[in-house]
This record gives sequence, structure tokens and C-alpha cells, in this order.
Amino acid sequence: MITGMLLRSLDKGSYWFLGLLGLIALLVPALHLLLPPESALHVPGYAVALMGKYLCYGLLALSVDLVWGYCGILSLGHGAFFALGGYAMGMYLMRQIGDRGVYANPELPDFMVFLNWSELPWYWYGFDSFGFALAMVVLAPGILAFVFGWLAFRSRVTGVYLSIITQALTYALMLAFFRNEMGFGGNNGLTDFKDILGFSLQSDTTRTVLFSASAVAVGLGYVLCRLITRSRAGMVLAAIRDAESRTRFLGYRVEHYKLMVFVVSACLAGIAGALYVPQVGIINPGEFAPANSIEIVIAVAVGGRGTLIGAVLGAVLISYAKTWFTGELPEFWLFALGGLFVAVTLFLPKGIAGFLIARWQGFKDRKSAPGTATVANEGPAQ
Amino acid sequence: MYCLRFLLIPLLCALIFTSNTSQPAQAADLETALSGLAEKSFKARLKAVDDIAATQDERAAEVLDALVKRQLFITKADGHIVLPDPAQEGSYLFAFNGETAGDFSKSALKRVKINNRMRSAVRKALGTLTLGSADRNRRLAAARSIFNTRDSSALELLDGAIAKETDSRVKREMERARAAALLASDAEESDKLAAIDVIAPKANQDALALLTQVVSNDSGAVAERAERAIAEMQSALALWATAQNVVYGISLGSVLLLAAIGLAITFGVMGVINMAHGEMVMIGAYVTFVVQDVIRTSMPDLFDWSLLIALPLAFGVTALIGIAMERGIIRFLYGRPLETLLATWGVSLILQQAVRSIFGPNNRLVGNPSWMSGSLELGQLTLTYNRICIIAFTLVVFAALFVAMRKTSFGLQMRAVVQNRQMSAAMGIRTKWVDALTFGLGSGIAGLAGVAISQIDNVGPNLGQSYIIDSFMVVVFGGVGNLWGTLVGAMTLGVANKFLEPYSGAVLAKILVLVFIILFIQKRPKGLFALKGRGAEA
Amino acid sequence: MSKLNFLRKGIGAAVVSAALLSGSAVVSAEETIKVGVLHSLSGTMAISETTLKDVMLMLVEQQNAKGGLLGKKLEAVVVDPASDWPLFAEKARELIEKEKVAAVFGAWTSVSRKSVLPVFEELNSLLFYPVQYEGEESSKNVFYTGAAPNQQAIPAVDYLMSEEGGEVKRWVLAGTDYVYPRTTNKILESYLKSKGVADEDIMINYTPFGHSDWQTIVSDIKKFGSAGKKTAVVSTINGDANVPFYKELGNQGIAAEDIPVVAFSVGEEELAGLDTTPLVGHLAAWNYFQSVEAEINESFVEEWKAFIGDEKRVTNDPMEAHFIGFNMWAAAVEKAGTTDPDAVGDAIIGVTAPNLSGGYSAMMPNHHITKPVLIGEIQEDGQFEIVWETPGMVVGDAWSDYLAGSADLISDWRKPLACGNFNTKTGKCGGSGS
Repeated sequence: MITGMLLRSLDKGSYWFLGLLGLIALLVPALHLLLPPESALHVPGYAVALMGKYLCYGLLALSVDLVWGYCGILSLGHGAFFALGGYAMGMYLMRQIGDRGVYANPELPDFMVFLNWSELPWYWYGFDSFGFALAMVVLAPGILAFVFGWLAFRSRVTGVYLSIITQALTYALMLAFFRNEMGFGGNNGLTDFKDILGFSLQSDTTRTVLFSASAVAVGLGYVLCRLITRSRAGMVLAAIRDAESRTRFLGYRVEHYKLMVFVVSACLAGIAGALYVPQVGIINPGEFAPANSIEIVIAVAVGGRGTLIGAVLGAVLISYAKTWFTGELPEFWLFALGGLFVAVTLFLPKGIAGFLIARWQGFKDRKSAPGTATVANEGPAQ
Repeated sequence: MYCLRFLLIPLLCALIFTSNTSQPAQAADLETALSGLAEKSFKARLKAVDDIAATQDERAAEVLDALVKRQLFITKADGHIVLPDPAQEGSYLFAFNGETAGDFSKSALKRVKINNRMRSAVRKALGTLTLGSADRNRRLAAARSIFNTRDSSALELLDGAIAKETDSRVKREMERARAAALLASDAEESDKLAAIDVIAPKANQDALALLTQVVSNDSGAVAERAERAIAEMQSALALWATAQNVVYGISLGSVLLLAAIGLAITFGVMGVINMAHGEMVMIGAYVTFVVQDVIRTSMPDLFDWSLLIALPLAFGVTALIGIAMERGIIRFLYGRPLETLLATWGVSLILQQAVRSIFGPNNRLVGNPSWMSGSLELGQLTLTYNRICIIAFTLVVFAALFVAMRKTSFGLQMRAVVQNRQMSAAMGIRTKWVDALTFGLGSGIAGLAGVAISQIDNVGPNLGQSYIIDSFMVVVFGGVGNLWGTLVGAMTLGVANKFLEPYSGAVLAKILVLVFIILFIQKRPKGLFALKGRGAEA
Repeated sequence: MSKLNFLRKGIGAAVVSAALLSGSAVVSAEETIKVGVLHSLSGTMAISETTLKDVMLMLVEQQNAKGGLLGKKLEAVVVDPASDWPLFAEKARELIEKEKVAAVFGAWTSVSRKSVLPVFEELNSLLFYPVQYEGEESSKNVFYTGAAPNQQAIPAVDYLMSEEGGEVKRWVLAGTDYVYPRTTNKILESYLKSKGVADEDIMINYTPFGHSDWQTIVSDIKKFGSAGKKTAVVSTINGDANVPFYKELGNQGIAAEDIPVVAFSVGEEELAGLDTTPLVGHLAAWNYFQSVEAEINESFVEEWKAFIGDEKRVTNDPMEAHFIGFNMWAAAVEKAGTTDPDAVGDAIIGVTAPNLSGGYSAMMPNHHITKPVLIGEIQEDGQFEIVWETPGMVVGDAWSDYLAGSADLISDWRKPLACGNFNTKTGKCGGSGS
């Protein structure tokens, strides 16, 4: 039955997308590990880490698209869930350092030693186990999203108000994590990781495995989102997005649906954060900055809201643009980014993917009999 | 007290120059004493300051004053101590007799270096030297200075001065100074007890400091009496501290209000989430910078007016940018509030980087005009003038805006468009025109806020970013579309923040306020003062 | 539908391959030696870091005018980590792996340094870090040309405790809440206590980054300072928050004679955005001030103003640190005859280079340098007047003697010890040491 559902929810585009993900998940590591560095096709180490990072942003964008594109909840605080997942993973990685820290304290991370903490705070217990950390990667953002969503959706905080309080949420968390008393390393955050599950984080193999894991996670995340949006519940979500009051009057418990999708999305964001941390090697409160959350929302808008694939595409595109501009034309990076945001909202309200779909639609309509293909449920309502 | 001294300096110079009658016998003393200033070590120069003061020379005050102002030089050629001739640029006077020493170029002179220790010695010396001055304010300053330095050697001088004094306020200060000096000396116990009684009635930090020292230095009845006085003072001060917190809260609130009020219009009235709002504030601040820069180079006399000149310019510039934004971008996005957020965020990035490219990434210097420097002591409340000005300015802006919204036809049209766009259009209101002007008004007010904020904060490309989230919080908390809500919201958040701060620290206070807002929105999703009726759903 | 999806996929593929190509199409340019410049040009840190980028460009230009290094021209590769800490790591990796730079000069905040540190260690490249920092770190690949706490904080406190500094007995340690102020204050607290300062005479206060409302804290300081003992504020308040802090100090009438503030993060650049009239007499401790009277400094200031084309621009301590660091690196490259990081890393220990106060700084085995410590008082023109300096050079100490965890640790990167955190008690190289 599950396979049936899976098959029903995936269209041809999905297969192409998943196939492509699978391909790069295999090809990039192969090109990196098997080819000699002199080869023209060799993928250097930094490119692997970079692409891994892009994929993590892709997964985060996917999670934003799930709530925004399909349920109309514009969260400006998804960076918070991402960072929480990252911190959970970071705490595991910190514990893995063991006595290899500069003070050689087997129990306490370096930053605690130098703030004269005598013992591990209770909330660090358990993070030496990978399983527990993985659970927290999903649970920490999930629980936060549940509590926050339960409060917000029940009292029918919607639209702009919701956006702004999600922003307040991530801002408050940022300030909190900046505090050294919190026991998360303050402004420096968690860094100088050594290894994961016993494999050195600096080795090529670990890096490629992490990269492939990110690709797989994006793929699985995509399938999950697809499953949700193509299910009956997905229809209700779209209904909520398009006419919340009407859906409520039809007898649906709107807040339950919203809460469900919000929590799932937060968990996805947490996983993205967890994959992100070992690849970039640091997690700090800067990840909570409202600007980061807004950037990822814009990535979704650029790629195409309510298209899932578009979201991933947008995130990868914007991240790549950031890499390119900050390297080649540092002074113009903000001009380019700002200009892109304005241009996309003005001229491509449905994003790149939406634009392409519309063009393709028009092309096909002209070619064949009109009305045969519909893009049901795709593209946001105005 | 410190600022008083600053105001006095020009006066003091003028005074001394008019009454310049040098006496040969003392001048020689002063000359020897002055030569100590050419010594290399600070210690020797410190001694020179004391020596200069000890000469009791008429010119000593002027010389010492020039010293703190770094206007005292040593000629490299023959080691004379000179100071600039106020009457003629490039010409210098001998410090010891005020006679012309000739013209010197900057490279022929060496500045007499001074450090904090010398500075306080100079202050102490000036206190005693100016006690007999003809100017009331100078005597007052001198008395206060002695009160703080507790210079027991000044007792005799004080006695004389008190006997001659006619101004009751100055006399009171002198008596307090005398009491302070007495407490620092090894006077009789009965005298000291009496001195404590003189000091005790006026509770302030300086008096508290004095008494605390008495407790640690003396014993027996004196210490006991001082302790009792301290306890009384502390309870009085605790009351003042609460009042101070309220004032600080209102002051913080008015900054928040100023930053948010423009947003209350663009966001509250038009439903546009203008993420570039903070950048409008920043541009307002930069306009102030440019105005001051022009004034500094071309008409320095006008500096005190710079802010008043900057206000209309800042309003104009930001309003125009706002209108351009509305016409160029936002009008295509009405009905899609979330997308205005994205587009205006893009605009904010562009504006930030543009400012960075034009003015450079560094903070820019925006000075306080003299009438905004310093502070007003109201009992135990320290109200800095710039904060007072900002509070007053905020209220004026608020009132003006309120009147504009309620009493003018533009305000009426604006409200009409908010409530029912189609109907307004049908009634002949040019809604597009109203939209553009409303947005311009909101941006212009942000520009005004920028002028005010330039007085208390950094003027740099990141200025706007630090206000945008707070501004949104204020508007959402107060209730969208309601100016009263914004006022109450801003003041509540400001005061709450300031009352939490002493207990929780600045960071936690801010977090708590944010959490409070998040929870509050759950309770009242439309803010404190929600719009009711059909307009609310639009 | 299938073609549509092919299109979608096609774009994705194009992006990925673009990323691939840009990575693999590295043409190693043999004719120049590349020097990486890793300073934020946008975001919150651009205020401080942009200047350092310009200094590096100037230094590279000057070196090229002198004929370059090893017969090759130098080429500065500038990237923008945009005040985004993970981006620092990414950019460092890009500089080393893609651009193949010989050394990197950069980073400002502690967190940016912590972020790039593993990258430098993994790829074995050299980083010159020009800003005063909290110490408690030693890496084979990093050279700390800014001040360690014992080269800034402790001499400053010593000065204030001395007769000349006003015999301060009561201390406010005010800082921004991050690792540098935390550690510095910790060191100072334990140092002050070792000098017999009582607990109740120390007040510690932390504020968030960019804190702008100082009313409460300044009035608290005023209150704390009126307990009858001479009080001073030791400020580790970071960059942006300083302007409103000093404005509030001035307006509340706290003069330097009453309660002097000695700052470790306020230099000429920060004061340039400030009307300093009410601040005259407040102090700063650095290893360099623009007002230092030395010929080498005068010519440096002149060159800088000419390079940047602005008479009003000032110089500051981190700029001097880059000046020293760059010259040390250049000397070490000449000495080693190669830009190979290991060879340069070995050669640079013991290298001396002129500093701008007229003396010579030497690179010590612990990768810190010797510097004079200067205390300056703020003047009306935004410059400092030097009121005190250490009699000789002070050697930077990576591990503070006043912290429990690090008192026994030393750092010596010379062979055969080659250890960043050697424990003199246990006789072992603690931690991984790499």
C-alpha cells in the first residue's frame, strides 16, 4: 500500500529529480575519490563540501516550501529549526572530541573548561550517543515547532502576524544562544570537531559520505513532502492556503493540519541543520539570525514557491551565487542579491520553476489540444 | 558639574584676560613653578601643577585651564612655556606674565602632555583658585569641585568665602564643600558630627561616596552617625532609582516609537511589510551626517542648527525614496503582503550596500549640537539633554502625525482608502496617489527618526538593521493600524525592558520581552488595540 | 511533461556542473605568489575589516614595488566572507584549495578565527591573525600578530593600579557577551584578586552585540564608582556598541578624572565616528597608536593616506599587526627560499620585523610576537596621547598564567617539541596538538 502511495505521489518530474540526486550522490564522490587531482574532471575537496552545504540549504528550502507553498504559512523563523538541529549534531560532535581538546579534559568541551565550569550541564547528557543526538536533531526542532505552532495556530495567528512572531522567535533564540551562560559556547558556538562515528571529519571519505547523505536526505525529504502534499491531507492543506475560513467552515480542524505540517517541516529543517554542521565545521548563534531565515524564504521564492523541486533549485542557485559573488565581485554581492529579490518578486512571481512550468504549459497547449494537462495544486494562490 | 565646567571655560578665559594685572614678585614664582611643566616625567609635572596652584598667582587659573585644554606649549628652542594669543592666530603669549612671546609655527612648539592624574590635580587647584571669583557660576563650580575632591587644605579659603558669600545657593554649596573638606581633615569629633548633618539632607551619589569613606576612615560616633545618614540616603535613593528606571524606559520607548511610527503607517495602514524601513532610518542619519559635514567645512557657526536643517532634508530625501519605491516596486504587489516583504528586503540590501559604497563601511561622525550635550540633574534623576530632546521630538512627531491623520483631508483620504479601497476610488479619491503619499509619509518619518537616532547611536550602514525587528515588535504588539497602539506599545516595551534590566541583565531582558510579545500575540492576535469591524479583515 | 522535467533537471545539472567546473578548472599561475585576504567587506564586521583589506592591498603593492618575493610578483586574492562565520571557513578553503595561496591574512572576530582554524590545520596553510584576542589557543598554522591578554589587558590594569594611573581600587569589567571579553575578564578578575582586590570591588557586566541603550548600565557604573574608592572601567565592549556607550558616558558627565575607562577594542577607527570632546582622558591600551612618534610610523601614515586617497583616514593597531605580520612572512619566505607552509612556518620563528613604534618585533616559538604595550588617553581630535608604555617588549603568552586550566600549559612550535599545549606539570603534549 505504501508503495502504491509512493508511486501515485511521484510524477515523472519527481523521478527525474530523484534520479539526478542519486546520480550526483554517486558521481561527485566517485569523481573526487577515484580521479587524480590533475584530472580535469576531478572534484576538489572544497567543492564537495560546498555542494554538500548547498544541498543542506536545499533541504531547508524544501521544508520552507512545504509550509509556505502548500499551507500558506510564511515562516521567517525556519533558521531556528535548522540551527537547533545543527546544535544537536554539534553537541554530539563536541562530545566526540573527548580528551583531544586543548585542555585535554575528557568530560568537558574546551569552552566550558575555560569558563571554569566544573561539570557538564544536564542538557548535555546523552549527546555522546549518536542515536540520542539523532533523535534530538528531529525532536528539538519538532517540539519547539509543536509548542509554538500549537499556541499560534490555536489562537489563529495568521499571515503577517505569524511571520513576524516567527521572526521574533528566532531572534530571541539567537540572543539566548549568544549568552555564554546557556552552555552552548556563546558567540563562538561549537567548532573544532574531530570525528563522527569514529571517522575523521577531515578525511575525504567522510566528506563524500556526508555529501552523499545530504543528497539522499534531500531525496527522501522530497519524497516525504510529495507524499504529504499528494495525500488527502495535502488537499486540505492547499485548501487552507487558499481559503482558510472556508475550510474551517467545512468542518476541518485547520489548526491540526497546520500544526502537523509545521512540525514535519521543522523536523526536516533540523535534519538539514544536522547535515550542515559536520560539513561546514561550525555552528554558532549566527545561524539563528533572522536574515538567514529570510534568505532561505527568498531562495524558495526565486526557485518557485509550491513546486518543491523549485525550492531546492532556488536554494542551490542562491548559495552558488553567494559563493561566486563573494569570491569574484565582493562589493557587488548585496547589490546582486537585493536586485534578484526585487526582480523575482516583480517579474517572476511564481519563481523560476513556476515560470518554466507556465512557459512549457503554453508551449504544450499550442501544440496539442488545450486542457489536457493541468498543474493541479502547483503554484501558490494569490 | 563636568559640563558646567565646559561651559565655563570660555567665560573664565575672558574674565582673566580682562583682569590681567601681573605682580612681579609672584610672577617670578609662577615662572619657576611653570618650568616644572617642561619636565619629562608625569610625576614632576604633577608637582609643577601643585606648585603653580600654590603661587596663588592671578594667572595661575588661566595657565592651568590652558593646560587641561592642551593649549599650553613649550618652545623647542628655549623651553619657554607659552599659550596661544586669543587675539591673534599663530601668536603666543608667555604663560607666566601674559606678554607676547612672538609667533611660532606648530613645529617649533611641543605640547605640554597631561594625564588624568594631572587633570584631577588641576581641577582641585582650580577649585580653590576660583573660589573668590566674581562670577557666581564659577564659585558654584568651585564649591562643587571642592566637595568632590575633599581638599582639606581649602578649609580656610572656604571659611573666608562663606563669610563673603551673598548668593544663598552658592553659600549652601560652599557649606557642603566645607563639611566635606572637614570630614577629610582630622578635625574634632563634634565638628565632624555637625558636618555630617550638613551633608545628610541632600541624598545623592557623591554624598553617599563621601559618607562611605567617612565610615571606613573614622570610628566611634562619627562613623555611627555617618552610617545612619547612609541608610537614610539609600532608601531615598532607591525611590529615585525607580523614578530613574521609568524615565529610562520612556526614553528607550520613545526611541522605539520614533523608529516604529513610520512603520505603523506603511505596515499598519497600508499593509506593506517594509523591510527597508530600517534603511530609511539609516538614510535619515546619513543626511544628518552630510548636513553636518557641509556645515563644518563651509559655515561652522551654524553647527548648532545642523539638526534643524537636517530634519526637513532627511524627511524630503527619505520621503522621495519611499515614493520612488512605492511607484517602482510596491504598487505592483498590493494584496500580496508577504511578497512586499521579499522585495523590500531586497531593496534594503541594495540601500545598505549603496551607502557602504558611497560613504565607506566605517561609522560616520555625527556630533551633538551644544544644546544637546550634557545632562540635567533633577533631584537624583540624571536626564541627558539628548534624551530629553528625543522624547520631546518623538511626542511632537506623534502629535503632528495624529493631527495629520485626523484633521487633514489627506488623512481622511488615507483612512478611507485603508477601510475600503474600491469605495474610496468610487468617491473620487485618487487611491494610487494616496498610496504613494502615504508610503512617502511613512518613509519620511523614518528619515526624521534617523536624524534623532544619529544623536545616540552609530551612524553606519548597519544602523537600520538594529531597529527593524524592534520596530515590527512594537507595531505588532500595539496593534496594527492604530497609532495609539504604537505609542502605548513602544512605551510599555521600553519601560518593561528597563525594569527587567537590573535583575536579569540587558540580554535576558530583551529575550524576556520578545517571549512576552510572542505569548501576548497568542492571546490577542491583533495586538493591544485591534481594529474592529470590516476594516480589520482587509 | 517529461520534457518539462528534463528542462528542470537540465538547469540543476548546469548549476552543478558550473560548480564543478569552477572548481576543477584551476590554472595554477606559477608566475605570481598569491596572498589571500580574508576580511569581511559586507555585513556587521565590514566596519572594521574593510580597512585591513586595504592595508593588505597596500602592503602587497609596496612589496611588489620593491621587486616582489623570490623574484616573483605578489598577487592579493580578496574574498568577502560577509561577516558570516561558516562562510569564513568556506572562503578559507577556497583560498587554499582553489586559489592555492601561499598564506592568508585575515579574520577579525574570535569566532571567525575558530571557524577557519580547522581548515588551516587540515590543509596545512598559514593564517596571520591581526587582532587582539583572548589567548587560550595555539595552532601550528596560525600566527597571532595581535595582542594576547598579557600584552594588553594586564599592563593596562597595572597602569591603573600604579600611582601614575590613579591608584584604582575598584573595578568595573564591562564587556560584550562573547568569548574575548569573557576570557579577558576572567583573567583580569583572577589577576586583580591576586593583587588583593576584594570581591565586592569588582563588578562584571555583559551586554549583547550592538547594544545601544546604555542608560541603565552607565548609571550603575556611576553608582558603583561612588563608593569612595577610586574606580575604573575596563571595557571590552565590542566595536559598534562603543559609540552609544561613550556618548552616554559623556552625557551623564562621567569624566575621565572621576572614573577612567580603559578600552581594549577602541582605536582610532572607532573614534573617527565619534565626537571625542567629552571623552578626553579616557584610556585605551594597544600596541600601537597613530600618534606614536617614530619615523617609520610617520611614513606609514603618509603612505596609507596616499594609498587610500583620503587625508582624514586614520591608522590603528590591527593595521600595524598586519604590517608586522606581512613583513615577517615576507622575511621568512626569503629565508626559507620557498613559500611552502612547513618551511615558512619553521623559518619564521625568530624572524624580526620593524614595528611602527620604532622597535623590532620578533616571532616567538609560540607563534605570538613581541610588542611594546602603550596606554593612550583620548584627545579631542580623535587621536591618542601616549601616557605610558612598557619599558621593553612584552612577549605574547598563548596560555594565561591566571587561568586555572592553562597556567601549566606552554606552546613551542620548534622541533622537536612542536606542541601547542605542552603541559609542564605532566610533561605531556596535551590534546591533539595539531
